[in-house]
Amino acid sequence: MTATLALKVEGLTKQFRGTTALDSVYLEIQPGEIVALIGPSGCGKSTFLRCLTWLEQPDDGFIEVAGQPFGRERIGAVVRRQSGREIDRIRPRIGLVFQQLNLWPHLTALENIVRPQIVVLKRPREEATRRARDLLARLGLADRAERYPHSLSGGQKQRVAIARALAMDPALMLFDEPTSALDPELVGEVLAVLRQLAEAGTTMLVVTHEIGFAANVADRIAFMDHGRIVEEGPARQLIDAPRDPRLKGFLDLVLSHRDGPAPPLA
Amino acid sequence: MRFDPWMLLDYWELLLQGTWLTIRITVMALVLGYLLGIGVALLGMARSRTLRAIAGTYVEVLRNIPFIIILFLVYYGLPFSGVRMPALFAGTLALSLFVSAYYSEIVRAAILALPRGQFESARAIGMSPAQAMWNVVAPQVLRTIIPPSTNMTLTMMKESAVLSSITVPELTYQGLVIQGNTFAPFEVFAAITLIYWMIAIVIAETSRRLEARVGLAQRQSVTRNPIADRYLSLERRPAR
Amino acid sequence: MKFNFEYLLSVMPRLIDASLVNIRLALIIMALSVLLGTGLTILRAAKLPVVNEVIAVVISFVRGTPLLIQIFIAYYVLPSVGLDMRPEVAGVAAIAFNSMIFVSETLRGGLATIDPGQIEASTALGLPPRAIWYKVVLPQLFRRVIPVLINEATIVVKGTALLSVITVVEVLRTAQQISAASYRPFETLLGAALIFLVMNLVISLVGKFAEARYAVSRA
Repeated sequence: MTATLALKVEGLTKQFRGTTALDSVYLEIQPGEIVALIGPSGCGKSTFLRCLTWLEQPDDGFIEVAGQPFGRERIGAVVRRQSGREIDRIRPRIGLVFQQLNLWPHLTALENIVRPQIVVLKRPREEATRRARDLLARLGLADRAERYPHSLSGGQKQRVAIARALAMDPALMLFDEPTSALDPELVGEVLAVLRQLAEAGTTMLVVTHEIGFAANVADRIAFMDHGRIVEEGPARQLIDAPRDPRLKGFLDLVLSHRDGPAPPLA
Repeated sequence: MRFDPWMLLDYWELLLQGTWLTIRITVMALVLGYLLGIGVALLGMARSRTLRAIAGTYVEVLRNIPFIIILFLVYYGLPFSGVRMPALFAGTLALSLFVSAYYSEIVRAAILALPRGQFESARAIGMSPAQAMWNVVAPQVLRTIIPPSTNMTLTMMKESAVLSSITVPELTYQGLVIQGNTFAPFEVFAAITLIYWMIAIVIAETSRRLEARVGLAQRQSVTRNPIADRYLSLERRPAR
Repeated sequence: MKFNFEYLLSVMPRLIDASLVNIRLALIIMALSVLLGTGLTILRAAKLPVVNEVIAVVISFVRGTPLLIQIFIAYYVLPSVGLDMRPEVAGVAAIAFNSMIFVSETLRGGLATIDPGQIEASTALGLPPRAIWYKVVLPQLFRRVIPVLINEATIVVKGTALLSVITVVEVLRTAQQISAASYRPFETLLGAALIFLVMNLVISLVGKFAEARYAVSRA
């Protein structure tokens, strides 16, 4: 394959006071691919996302976003840490949707999406506004543009957060547990939005414990445990025929805790 | 004793000058104190432990010493070290130092109260620390600091009366001058009190408008059982 | 002139002696203001017509005007209406009056945090209002407002320095007397500042202990 990878992670490592949160993680994502990252809580999924966005500085390893080194680069045999300014310049290429969304409550839904385009990408306001309205319309929020976050429902807030990240034209979208902060009845709504994005060809890495979503929408699943990606492969195959005993145990646990029967994996 | 407020009319000029100076001193100390306060607040959140300790000591020392002693130290103490300064300058500086300790705590508390995710989401999308501060943190902090800053500014405005003791001709000083001429303490202090009161009302009203403009003035009213209200509320219920 | 540390040390004994005046006055003021502030709060809770309106005006007056002016009023005005008071008494009266208002406002804030269910239950049990105040409301209220009262105590201690302007011979006045004779204002004022710093840090420390203790007994 000659196409540039959307994301390439090599040997990403992070320690907190002696405990290893990430233990040399490798991951590659093709453009348009949807990868679900699953694993028990505390396995390092969140740290992985925080290191991918350099909110947390990884101790070692390399990240490449759409072919661009991010955070650290190799020049010959020398490893150079990028400056804060360089890191800031690449950051919008990764759209992170936080678990807690972190919309800015003092700005309207529209302005939440417009402001970073103007500040970070230096887009003219008209263009940024057009782009924001476009995205809001696509996500079914055209009539909510002037609302402030506190007057939006949980699902609407999440779509605003997604639009905010998409407006930056990221090469890759990261989702941190997109369903966990929501009421159970909204989970379907969110999954529908993620499916919609998938159909539009958005590259996504989704940290989730929704095995249903992982199985139905994701192309590939990566299973993380103790800071390592233990097993990865095509979604259906990984769920139907897990090889690693830890993944087996995890799947048994998750599937048995679901209400009612698991959705058909057709 | 007779009460003769009309004789104050002979001194209206002094009262006006004093009022105007008190207002100017308050505004100056508000601006200077806030600049200092923001600096100390940021220092207090620095990574370096030494810097944090310096900020902490600054705040504790200024908050635990009576303002009148801070004032004397600046006015009598600094000339002693070679810096000679006029009373008005020394007074305004002392007032700014005094109030900056409180402002810095207000700013620091407001920033710390903001969820970390607010700053992080701005950083993750590519804003620099300064851009994140300006676009995301500052506007939200501004809302929460207005009410406590207003209280502190009122306190500081009142504290400026102490500047009379180093002969700054502000409102209280002019009052004491008039009192020395007329030996009519009741009239003089009634007038001075009234003027301070009016300045305080103007400050409070300005702040209220500012707060409304910045948005967010929602107060939830507590509805309680009238029996409990007999003890727990001091306001009479509005007639319905 | 250079900073003279020896001189600073030499004035400390006199300043420490004088600090006893500040401590004594602050204790009297705090006792008065807590007592009267509580009384005022109960009076306000009675919600009598006119009385509350008058109190509201007085509160607005006290909060809106400088403590220094209130001290001057007690010192200059009260004697002229026949109440001849020593400077010390006038000063204590002024600061206590001021502080009383702040205590009452603090208690008002604390009242809002008390669980109304208890009052309803006490009333249903037929407890007389007196008992509800003394046995139910006030004990909880004071526990809650202790940090604020401690803070008020440090404000009162600082306030006693203002009494130097009406000739009460306390720490600051003593420092001024010393420096008038020696022409070394910086060291003496610094000594006075240190004394206030220590007094207030001790109060804050005691407050922290008290708070911790009550927090434990509440749990």
